[in-house]
Amino acid sequence: MDLGFFVVSLTLLFNDFERWRQRSTVIRCDNRRAGGKVRAEKNNYYELLGVSVDSNAREIKDAYRKLQKKYHPDIAGQEGHEHTLMLNEAYKVLMKEDMRRHYDASIGQMRVRNGTNYSGVAYSAWKGPLRPQALFVDENACIGCRQCVHHASNTFVMDEALACARVKVQYGDDEQKIEVSVESCPVNCIHWVDREELAVLEFLIQPQPKEAYGVFGGGWERPANVFMAAKSFSKQLKQQAATEHYQTRATREEETPAQAEARANAIRKLKMDRFSRFQNWVKEIFSSNMLSRD
Amino acid sequence: MAEPAYTVASDSDTTGEEKSSSAFPEIAIGIDVGTSQCSVAVWNGSEVVILKNTRNQKKMRSYVTFKDDIPSGGVSHQLSHEHEMLSGAAIFNMKRLIGRVDTDPVVHSSKSLPFLVQTLDIGVRPFIAALVNNVWRSTTPEEVLAIFLVELKAMAEVQLKRPIRNVVLTIPVSFSRFQVTRIERACAMAGLHVLRLMPEPTAVALLYAQQQQQAVHENIGGGAEKIALILNMGAGYCDVAVTATAGGVSQIKALAGSAIGGEDILQNTMHHLLPDLEILFSKHGINEIKSTGLLRVATQDAIHKLSSQTSVQIDVDLGNELKICKVVDQEEFEEVNKNVFEKCESLIIQCLHDAKVQTEDVADIIVVGGCSYIPKLRNLVMSVCKRQELYKGMNPVEAAVCGAALEGAVASGISDPFGSLDLLTIQVTPLAIGIRADGNKFVPVIPRNTTMPTRKELAFTTVHDNQTEALIVVYEGEGEKVEENHLLGYFKIMGIPPAPKGVPEINVCMDIDASNVLRVLAGVVLPGSRHPAIPVMEVRMPTVDDGHGWCVEALHRTYGSGLDLVTIQKKI
Repeated sequence: MDLGFFVVSLTLLFNDFERWRQRSTVIRCDNRRAGGKVRAEKNNYYELLGVSVDSNAREIKDAYRKLQKKYHPDIAGQEGHEHTLMLNEAYKVLMKEDMRRHYDASIGQMRVRNGTNYSGVAYSAWKGPLRPQALFVDENACIGCRQCVHHASNTFVMDEALACARVKVQYGDDEQKIEVSVESCPVNCIHWVDREELAVLEFLIQPQPKEAYGVFGGGWERPANVFMAAKSFSKQLKQQAATEHYQTRATREEETPAQAEARANAIRKLKMDRFSRFQNWVKEIFSSNMLSRD
Repeated sequence: MAEPAYTVASDSDTTGEEKSSSAFPEIAIGIDVGTSQCSVAVWNGSEVVILKNTRNQKKMRSYVTFKDDIPSGGVSHQLSHEHEMLSGAAIFNMKRLIGRVDTDPVVHSSKSLPFLVQTLDIGVRPFIAALVNNVWRSTTPEEVLAIFLVELKAMAEVQLKRPIRNVVLTIPVSFSRFQVTRIERACAMAGLHVLRLMPEPTAVALLYAQQQQQAVHENIGGGAEKIALILNMGAGYCDVAVTATAGGVSQIKALAGSAIGGEDILQNTMHHLLPDLEILFSKHGINEIKSTGLLRVATQDAIHKLSSQTSVQIDVDLGNELKICKVVDQEEFEEVNKNVFEKCESLIIQCLHDAKVQTEDVADIIVVGGCSYIPKLRNLVMSVCKRQELYKGMNPVEAAVCGAALEGAVASGISDPFGSLDLLTIQVTPLAIGIRADGNKFVPVIPRNTTMPTRKELAFTTVHDNQTEALIVVYEGEGEKVEENHLLGYFKIMGIPPAPKGVPEINVCMDIDASNVLRVLAGVVLPGSRHPAIPVMEVRMPTVDDGHGWCVEALHRTYGSGLDLVTIQKKI
């Protein structure tokens, strides 16, 4: 028992160091104590409570109560302490209109930044060699029935926050299992797509922040038809690449006389510098020779 | 986790323990130790039952008589007459005295009780004694409570045919953490382990949550959130809570409480009947004790009668040619106790305000406790909440103990196949906890009504150049100045690297877990550095013991303002 207490206190200490280092408002907690069920990076309040970003106060309350019933130390024992702390923090922020707005802004910006920086790399990993075809779940259509996760648990995972399935590892299970899981989908939302398309599709299916007009129209959205969106997005990407290419070439050609002069000056200065260094070196050798002679 | 080879009982009274790891967890019993009455309940596997003593009583008077060699309490002992309790040999109202120092007004108001409460007014524990064969025999509230708890424990063990160790106790909202440790101490003396201490109205809230849950099961649907206002007023304390209930989860939104209750009403009325009561009683002789005892019983009867009658005739012969013959009507009674009712009203208003709840949003108003029979109190609650009626689904004197028994079952890890135990109370802190800083100010780190478990931190800094030490003095309460709050403990941070004032950052972190154990951590960070400059201090509070009224003065005398701290203004 005393041992248990000791471990708890150490974790507390650990957390505090961690937080002092982080200096952030988000409480970081050591989740190993929460039974490893929660990923350490899961500090997104919406994910933590398992609600969608546009959920209302009542949905948040319901989710909070449901999770409290699972993790509250009265029920889960001392292990639930850290998790409940996070739940309380998340609840407090999301239930207060102004705090939630700030929080949305902070994570919204993060999302937007990621959004414009489309990486071109697919989210799902590959097991074995790359193949021409890849699996993709249309999360708009997915009803969250978990059939695919059940049949091929190494390939598919559930996103509990959004209540839909997603491909984690391409060909994570053997072909037969994957076939069964594709067949088993009641709404046929698992598609075979070209490998080249995969990155765009997986990027677009993630909910993106919607542009708000004052207090209206904010929130999160994803394209209704992800395949159409992918086509137009690819087109945009190509155009963007072309213009970027053009622009870089253009800048190289356009050099004002002032810039040319500056560049010439800089080159001269560099040369001078090199020369002076050489001079100094000669001087040093010379003086040291003198000293040794004395 | 491997079982440690040996365990040492913690120096503090509880061990802050998790539940037992055995396959068949022991169901903790719920005990409601009231100022005047006490009851025990337990979850029997399908419902809560209230245990009865050998005389078939559910409610037992909370007192201990020191007449013979072995003290006996109100559980087993049969009073031959009500007056026997008032002979000087019996100690009662211990809940009003426990954990209080002799400068406390509540202790002073207990001086007219028929046993000895002596104060020196210097901030130490009061001297309490029972009159045994014309000798004042000293005791402590903890001891009295422990004797009483031992009897309760024995009674429950006989009936449940198993040893009892874990208990859930209800406590008043206004109890400081120091008082809580005294209650835990009494339990430890009685061989009981406190699994949870619940503020009384939150136990009622849990019972309410269960009733709502059952109502939802019966008529399908409609599991919407319901807000309830709970007022629990017994003999010693008045507590108010606002709770939001849905799906068996009772989420406490705000708590408020004060040490006023039936005892104050009784004393006000006694003073009204006999204005020079104090003078009469100052001698504390056997005759004086007897006559105040007579007056007490007569007044108590009259107050009980006034709950159903509009006026009452009081006829009592106090001996010494002192007779009281008076008719008291309800209006007079209400006028005499105006201050008590006003205080109740302000508590309700404060609690609603803290919970940010409008009176229209309150679905049910629950009034429980011994004082809930007083018509004035019921009317007052209804008028504040602008309602015509009160919640009827609860027995006013059994609600708290039933809630405690439910919590005992839930916290022991029992589950019920019919979902009757699919319950949870989400508690809040009844009082703010903070430290002394900015001169003599109380700076809360954890504000009042913060959801538990919680962890909060606040940054402070030094007030002198090259200040290497800082004193962290932890208080609990609501006052702006430290003197108005309860001292919980203190410790010194040493080895702060020399720096100009305002540069070192002293982080004070407070952590309260679900079993209400408070830990205070303090560490020093220098700007630019990422790690604490010295090892972090962790202290479990409260650390103060008796006589803590002296400590603050002594600290101040020794250190002055040399080790002070100020809050860091947040940059926005």
